[in-house]
Amino acid sequence: MRRFLLRRLLLAVPTLFGVTVVVFATVALVPGDPVEAFLGPGAPLAARRELTQRLGLDRPLPVRYAAWLWHALHGDLGTSISAQRPVLRLLLPAFGETLLLAGAAFLLVLVGGVLLGGLGAIRPHGLTGRLSGGLSTLFVSAPQYSVSLLLIGLFAVYWPVLPAGGTHNVFGDGGPIDLVQHLVLPAVAAALVPLGLTARVFRAALSTVVEGELADSLRARGLSRTAVLWHCLHNASPALLTIGGLQLAYLLEGVVFVETLFSWPGVGQLLYNALSARDLPVIEGGVLVTAVGFVGINIIVDTAHAVIDPRVRS
Amino acid sequence: MIQPTLRIKELTIHHGLGASRVTAVDGVSLVLEPGQALVLLGESGSGKTSVARAVLGLRSAAETTGRIELGGTDLRSLDERSLSRIRGRRIGYVPQDPTGSLDPLRRVGAQLTEVLRRHRMADGRRAAHAAVPALLESVGVPDPERIAHAYPHELSGGLRQRVCIALAVCCEPELLVADEPTTALDALVQSHVLDLFGLLRAERGIALLLVTHDLGVALRTGGQVAVMRAGRIVETGPVEQVLASPSHAFTAELVGAQAGARR
Amino acid sequence: MTTTVIRPTTRTVAAISTAGSWLRRNGGVAVPLTLVVLLVLAALAAPLVAPDSPTAGLLQNRMLAPGTPGHLLGTDDQGRDVLSRLIWAARPSLVGGFAPVGAAGALGSALGIAAGLGGRRTEQALLRSLDVLYAFPGILLAMAIATLVDTGLGAVVLALSVVLTPSVARVVFTEVQRIRTAEYLEAARVSGAGRIAIAVRQVVPVVAPVVLVYCSSLIGLSIVYAAGLSFLGLGVSPPTAEWGSMLDELRPELFSHPAVAMMPALAILVVSVIFNSLGEALRRRVGAARDLRPGAGR
Repeated sequence: MRRFLLRRLLLAVPTLFGVTVVVFATVALVPGDPVEAFLGPGAPLAARRELTQRLGLDRPLPVRYAAWLWHALHGDLGTSISAQRPVLRLLLPAFGETLLLAGAAFLLVLVGGVLLGGLGAIRPHGLTGRLSGGLSTLFVSAPQYSVSLLLIGLFAVYWPVLPAGGTHNVFGDGGPIDLVQHLVLPAVAAALVPLGLTARVFRAALSTVVEGELADSLRARGLSRTAVLWHCLHNASPALLTIGGLQLAYLLEGVVFVETLFSWPGVGQLLYNALSARDLPVIEGGVLVTAVGFVGINIIVDTAHAVIDPRVRS
Repeated sequence: MIQPTLRIKELTIHHGLGASRVTAVDGVSLVLEPGQALVLLGESGSGKTSVARAVLGLRSAAETTGRIELGGTDLRSLDERSLSRIRGRRIGYVPQDPTGSLDPLRRVGAQLTEVLRRHRMADGRRAAHAAVPALLESVGVPDPERIAHAYPHELSGGLRQRVCIALAVCCEPELLVADEPTTALDALVQSHVLDLFGLLRAERGIALLLVTHDLGVALRTGGQVAVMRAGRIVETGPVEQVLASPSHAFTAELVGAQAGARR
Repeated sequence: MTTTVIRPTTRTVAAISTAGSWLRRNGGVAVPLTLVVLLVLAALAAPLVAPDSPTAGLLQNRMLAPGTPGHLLGTDDQGRDVLSRLIWAARPSLVGGFAPVGAAGALGSALGIAAGLGGRRTEQALLRSLDVLYAFPGILLAMAIATLVDTGLGAVVLALSVVLTPSVARVVFTEVQRIRTAEYLEAARVSGAGRIAIAVRQVVPVVAPVVLVYCSSLIGLSIVYAAGLSFLGLGVSPPTAEWGSMLDELRPELFSHPAVAMMPALAILVVSVIFNSLGEALRRRVGAARDLRPGAGR
């Protein structure tokens, strides 16, 4: 198991390296001179040269990359141009909020996906099966921004039962119930597409197991129906893990829309504002952290896969 | 008078409806005495596997009529719960493909203890655990302690099949149903497995219903043979006799074809 | 007065039942396909189909509710007819769906075939680069590229083409991998045919249906992504109507006039469902057909 983990981590290194290169290159190639943007078009040459030197923009690209990487590894991702604060200081709390939202959505995806897909697999013909398939297709096609708007319109405006944004009430003392109330709509909006995908994949995997040799063999051993079902679920779980991992990564990316529409102060909203303001250090840092998080999640998913399925370890 | 282990009377199985109705098994009757071996011999599509699955009561969307008795118990009148208590306990099943029939995510020993505890063959988890190595040894598994701890994908094909056999006989059944148990194995391992069946019959008096298309396997198993074709039994009798001098045209064809292939 | 009972003739009954069974078999593909064709036609014929002008609006008519005579889906914050805007908006929105998928289909196929037939080093280099691109969440990558290029719909199309290409390349590579040990490829190689010739003549016909089906399932996704980017302010600029930008425009009115504000969101949802149903149905059709066909190299 340890050897597997080591091998997996080693494999991630070149990918991570590539990620940093792409992030740096993308931002470095942004047209427009940041010095001019900062000082204004009419600034004197001397001031511009001084700032260029100070920001290190006169050095060759590979040197700038190395310096940037060095700083990044030490936790220094630069300073936000608009907020005048260290990028990391802005990113960390935002990342926490995004994780909360993505985590809640992921929980919905897992539970909903297993239920919807599982029911479709156990009773494929008839109403249950067709409902399962139809709902899966509907969910998969439900774009987050559309769903967000529709949910706000329906449940915060027409029938004002849930809050329309923010993480907690400005008045009142907050608390877990308040947080959950604020989480419901955005989590659902973010979760629908991944839920549909997960349901589809899980249904296919579970069907294969339930109609296959293993299920027959387990029944032939005289195991109870519950036990057979349990083992079938167990055997379908590697597929669930794979698709689930992909969806968690998708959730981290897709929250941009949900956070913007629900005013959820996460990385998505941070990046959206930074893009509008051309705040390069924040864009750089945000994309880097998200991509690294992505890679990290893949490693965790692969490891969990190896824990469940011994065949993967060899 | 001792009851026969297995008695099948006029078993008929239809698949499908209307124009696409197919008769898989057509009025099959047979009797199997305790400790005896009966080979269902036929080509694919002859209905032999359908008969085996019907004995196990593995439900399918098929229309089944006829009588199946295990030691006097009418199997077809039982509900799924009662059947699940008989499967594994009074009837053991040896599958064709041991790889697809073992749970790849659990160790071999754990799969055995589960069956033992299900049919209350051991008092508690520790007792069940302790019984596993001896069980594996009795089916010819070398180094049983290590194998019990292994996962199915770490074992060879022959070992996997022995594990399946262990699972089938661990609760001391009266009847063993084996569906093409040697097809996925290579020649040397095949003969070991067939010898094991003989040993189980001799030592524990387990009756054997073996389904195969291979004449060599039929001969090695010994006992009686029922040749099947298009859902019907065309000829029965002692194996050596029937295959040496077949009385039915189809049996003769079968013998001729396989002898020719071997040449 | 006598009432005449019209009894359908046997021929009519037979025709209806044949139509019925044809629908049952092909309905999964036929229904969404028809809707897609209607949508494309409506977009192309926007000046004829739209009841009103998408840009001319009377401020005194602003934020009329859906169902007001003359404005089936209401009016927006500048008094423009929402239905007409939605129809006109279909043009850039559909372009945002079809163009990137077309580009990604072509580029991805080329890369996938190159990786499959190009030898070990090319394969590894291409696959590793694709892996790096995979590490980026699609939307973020698209956002970054669209911001860089900064020229409206073109930027969106370019960004989405880049985002979609790796998936297509992966699918194509898997196909090529499956058939590259096939005998007829060996024969072509031995006979001295150049690698490009082999690719074009032997590989493309096998890979093409797979790519077509996969790309058809990507169109819905691309439309959604494109509208999303427009919503974020990248892409077309006002007063051009685009589904995503309409969503952004009407968003402030959500609390005061929820019905109208939700229209673009509903429109995108419906279009997305239609395209995804088509993609699903096609995938199932081709999948079933492939299982029956003797496969090469299987």
